[in-house]
Amino acid sequence: MSDPTPFEKRTQEVLEESAKRLDGRTRSRLTQARHAALARLEQPQRFGWRAYLPASAAAGAAVLAVVIYTGRPAVNGAPGPGAAEDMELIADVDAPDFADEGEDLEFYEWAAGEQES
Amino acid sequence: MTAFVTLAGVYSTTDFQAVTRRLDQGSMTSRALDQFLASVEKRAFKIAQLGLRNDDDALDAVQDAMMKLVQSYASRPADEWRPLFYRILANRVLDMQRRRTVRGRIMAWLPLRDAEDDDEYDPIAQAPCGGPDPAKRLELDEAIGVLETAVAELPRRQQQAFLLRNFEGLDVNETATAMGCSEGSVKTHYFRALESLRARLGEVF
Repeated sequence: MSDPTPFEKRTQEVLEESAKRLDGRTRSRLTQARHAALARLEQPQRFGWRAYLPASAAAGAAVLAVVIYTGRPAVNGAPGPGAAEDMELIADVDAPDFADEGEDLEFYEWAAGEQES
Repeated sequence: MTAFVTLAGVYSTTDFQAVTRRLDQGSMTSRALDQFLASVEKRAFKIAQLGLRNDDDALDAVQDAMMKLVQSYASRPADEWRPLFYRILANRVLDMQRRRTVRGRIMAWLPLRDAEDDDEYDPIAQAPCGGPDPAKRLELDEAIGVLETAVAELPRRQQQAFLLRNFEGLDVNETATAMGCSEGSVKTHYFRALESLRARLGEVF
């Protein structure tokens, strides 16, 4: 930051002092949180293809259902009125995990861009 | 080429060296991440605390951000960790604020809960760390209280910009990455935050 004003310096000092004064319980819980996070590094990495197993299985089941359904002789020459809804239910696959993380797609685009560059 | 036998099979020296190198890199990454997280954890907690106004929620948010960084971005260059970490933390804080709003709407319909089951006061855990003399300490106590109240009441984006720039010391580019907006927006939010704080605290500070 270029040449902070006295006001900026003062607010920074006060906030730093506030961070230094964290009580023992909070400091201890932060250390525990850090160790818990780092323990994740020690765990064996998931194989990439395993992450796609549930989605692949669901997609496979959907394809199979389509094949069976379309191979069945139609009653009165056309599918029933609820056919489209049934297919929607069969083909519905859960959204990927990252959509639940509360992180927007712009962030992933940025991260992907950074990795490519 | 030297070959050696292990329970898992026969390996060449080159394989062994590659495995050793990977283990060394893993250990280095772990140490670097430990140092990085230790260097930001207190400020990250304060930032989350000011956004959420609740210590337990702030601790949860920081822990989640640490987990996510380690799980998803440990392999990224170390100089990218800080903006990434604060981006994750900001998202987590926002998520918790939204959940709390929804929970508040639901709880408004339910009977009041006794406050007795909250954490009991623990004098040892609450004991302050050593520091300046009592007069100076009292003055700082007041300054901290006034400033934190004013910062907590800033609009969310101004609060983020102020804390990331002024407290965490990120530059404009890093702050923009952490906030997911343009550098121009960061400058605007930061300027407005400063104006607002100056107007409120000018006499005290």
